[in-house]
Amino acid sequence: MASNTSVVGKSLPMIDAYEKVTGKLRYAADLPPLHRMHHAKVLRSPFAHAKVVHIDTSAAEALPGVSAVITHLDNIIGTKKTCGQIWNDQSFNFQGPIISPEVCYVGDEVAAVSAVDEETAKEALALIEVEYEELPAIFDLEESMKPDAPAVHPWGPNRLDPSLFTWGDVEQGFSESDLIIENRITLGNQQHAPLDRNACIAAWERDSVSVWTSTQALFWIRDALTEFFELSPSKVRVYSTPTGGSFGLWWGNNFMILTVALARKAGRPVRLVLTRDEVQTTVKRRERPLIDAKIGIKKDGTMVAQRYQHVMDNGAYGNKFDPYQSVADIYPTPHGHVEFIGVATNLLPAGCMRGVGDLTLAYAIEQTVDMAAEKIGMDPLEFHLKNHWQTGDICHTSQEVVFAKLLFNREPEVRLSSSGLAECIRKGAEMIGWKEKWQGWGKPSSVQGNKVRGVGMGISTHISGLAFFGFNGITIKVNPDGTMALTTGIGRMGQAGDTTQAMVAAEVLGVELEDVNVIDGDTEVCGHTMVTFGSNGMHMVARATKAAAEDAKKQILEFAGRHLEASPEDLEIKDRRIFVKGSPDKGVGLGELMSTPIYDYLAPPEVIGRASEGVEFHRAGKMMIADFAEVEIDTRTAQMKVIKFVACHDSGTIVNPAVCENQVAGGYYQSMGLATTEHLVFDDETGAILNPNFLDYKIVGPLDMPDPDVYFEEVYDEDGPYGAKGIGEGVTCAVPIAISNAVYNAIGVRLDPPITPDKLMRALKNA
Amino acid sequence: MTVHTVQLRINGEVTTVDVKAHWSLAYVIREKVGLTGTKTGCEMGTCGSCTVLLDEKPIFSCLRMAVDAEGHEIQTIEGVEVENGGELHPLQKSFIELHGMQCGFCTPGMILAAKALLENNPDPSEQEVREAIGGHLCRCGTYVRIVRSILDAAQAVRAS
Repeated sequence: MASNTSVVGKSLPMIDAYEKVTGKLRYAADLPPLHRMHHAKVLRSPFAHAKVVHIDTSAAEALPGVSAVITHLDNIIGTKKTCGQIWNDQSFNFQGPIISPEVCYVGDEVAAVSAVDEETAKEALALIEVEYEELPAIFDLEESMKPDAPAVHPWGPNRLDPSLFTWGDVEQGFSESDLIIENRITLGNQQHAPLDRNACIAAWERDSVSVWTSTQALFWIRDALTEFFELSPSKVRVYSTPTGGSFGLWWGNNFMILTVALARKAGRPVRLVLTRDEVQTTVKRRERPLIDAKIGIKKDGTMVAQRYQHVMDNGAYGNKFDPYQSVADIYPTPHGHVEFIGVATNLLPAGCMRGVGDLTLAYAIEQTVDMAAEKIGMDPLEFHLKNHWQTGDICHTSQEVVFAKLLFNREPEVRLSSSGLAECIRKGAEMIGWKEKWQGWGKPSSVQGNKVRGVGMGISTHISGLAFFGFNGITIKVNPDGTMALTTGIGRMGQAGDTTQAMVAAEVLGVELEDVNVIDGDTEVCGHTMVTFGSNGMHMVARATKAAAEDAKKQILEFAGRHLEASPEDLEIKDRRIFVKGSPDKGVGLGELMSTPIYDYLAPPEVIGRASEGVEFHRAGKMMIADFAEVEIDTRTAQMKVIKFVACHDSGTIVNPAVCENQVAGGYYQSMGLATTEHLVFDDETGAILNPNFLDYKIVGPLDMPDPDVYFEEVYDEDGPYGAKGIGEGVTCAVPIAISNAVYNAIGVRLDPPITPDKLMRALKNA
Repeated sequence: MTVHTVQLRINGEVTTVDVKAHWSLAYVIREKVGLTGTKTGCEMGTCGSCTVLLDEKPIFSCLRMAVDAEGHEIQTIEGVEVENGGELHPLQKSFIELHGMQCGFCTPGMILAAKALLENNPDPSEQEVREAIGGHLCRCGTYVRIVRSILDAAQAVRAS
């Protein structure tokens, strides 16, 4: 835990809380209309795979009020980035032209219209005549991987080359093992399902374009537009507004590029607001995994070898090929073989969602580990404590390793900078009452009439940013009254990234949080932060923030030295005041210093602190998670109720406890959805999503689950600012594991999420 | 399509708007009156983010037709501070202090639903609070602190 801090470690209110409680915070769809602005609508494919053989837009174009119609005939295609290769960016949901003559999933774009209002645009869509020629569509992962499978899309293979990691000799490891446990699992299709419906507004002025959208990927979008439309970065200005939740959904997306293209053709600003249906069915979903796990252990519970094949359904345009961080290393073994394979299907594109593979792969690993512990009759608690990851352990399967290989053809070693995993496991066991409640494998902790209860546990980990995300740039400008403006490219998704960055700056500069005004979301003003993802805010971006604040502090102390006729090294800054160490009476207020002329310059000082910091990847700061659940199942009705949930996290120093508690609780609710109710249902025949709304796709409400008990093990991470690591994504990763294992112990049957009453009913019948 | 001219009384101010019969109150409040504090997450009455008070009762404004809202007193989130003499309502203060929000998108709806609850029941139990916001989703999963904020504000309202 960080000691002697005055701002860091306090549950200070979010700096935009006032705007949020008064309805003044503007998400993209809340921005006031621009002059002459038109409204867009998108015509989408009803087929999962088809060729557009004929399209007639003449009636739509003739409709009064319509300003532009674009289709594949406009051939809007980016080539700059790719030297003539197909344009490809995994987060944008298209490859090649933005509207292709070959549609690859239900919802794929066929045409887009801008008109004086949304109703006219909708009317115009109905006037577009399209003739499709249907092509074979594939909805199943395993079908898609077969050598003779029809192509899902017109570029590249259905199955991407695996990302492969090996260490030791896995076969030898298995032969040295006393027991081998194999397992195959899959999970449901989870949708990010933020409440906000995103919007994009684009406006061209000659050869420059400005874009407003709710996103966490400010610079990624800027760079994509730059590449796609062959513009200099100086001609593309992206303004990111806060997102009404994101969870990985609001990176770049095709709808943004469509809006930009429409605005160019229409010669006026254009706004596209997605419908709820479009948010659910055309942007992204969590990759659905199919995982084969095999682990070898000794009779005493020592893990010797592990082999995982993590196949992920990328949908039609997803391009995920690389590993998910390091959860495969959470049990250090001398031998390992892990491969990640991205596979295309004619379904909604898939990509990262909060926790990504550290949720899916952790689930497979932990189910298998649970089975292994059962085989040797060892309490899972003991098994976890015997085998878990510790400070200094190696990260074989880090994404950093992949990118070092791709970019430099080198294979570096990455080591864990800190781990409080053991403490989290012990604390969680104590909080759930493991000793009293765990009765053995497949055995309920209590039975009362039809109601059986069981407990379960699971662990996981997640990154705190990755080096290849690139440098983060921060500036801090000090005003004449001692307040300051901090610029950052960090997104605002509800994670309070602006607040916690400002807290770090305030801590360094000896001011209050309210003194720091955060300016974010403008590519022309803010320093680079590629995307706020991979939980990079508190560990990685904040390093730059801390360095920028230290730079500002150095300048302040130099000016204060002149003002006080003292050496800057002898000065300290605290409580908005600079003073001589040991003589607090000899000092000057920060506001006074900044507004008083200095003799040498005949003017008051001007201070701009700045830093651009990358991170070296050899030491990886990762958060550690141990979750425990107790569930109750009514064996008559097959209803499941969560009785108690304990979430223990090591995210290093907790910079803002209330923010972090909200993150953990939020991750719990979201993952509880994945564990019990959330599943996008694709029609077997058409590949269309049958539940594109909150009525049929159930996310957890305020009456559905008990509040979690949250505990933070504050291990000081030497590489993190004030000892902090990331938090935002890992919070989801171990929840479904604990639930599934608890269900197993309650009823003696293993079920994979979503654990719905029908699955339970069948399991109870067969048990 | 026929256009109807209606007079909507929103936050104590009367606005005359030409609306089509199928326009929802939420749409008109946001797009025609410009009060974007009313959020529209689903437009089908399943998320609660478009909640406004109609004669002090919380309604999903996406399910109410604008033509049918004439003659009623409508309050949106923007009106809460105004009604309170430019001061934040105790609920707003509690939500700020106790972190009753993350992304903030559900916040206006939650606060208005809670405001209606406290006006009828200034001493609600936790279960009553949860029921009052039972039709409101928070995808960030902030329920723990939303409920805590409402209970805290109830205490402040009772004390005042």
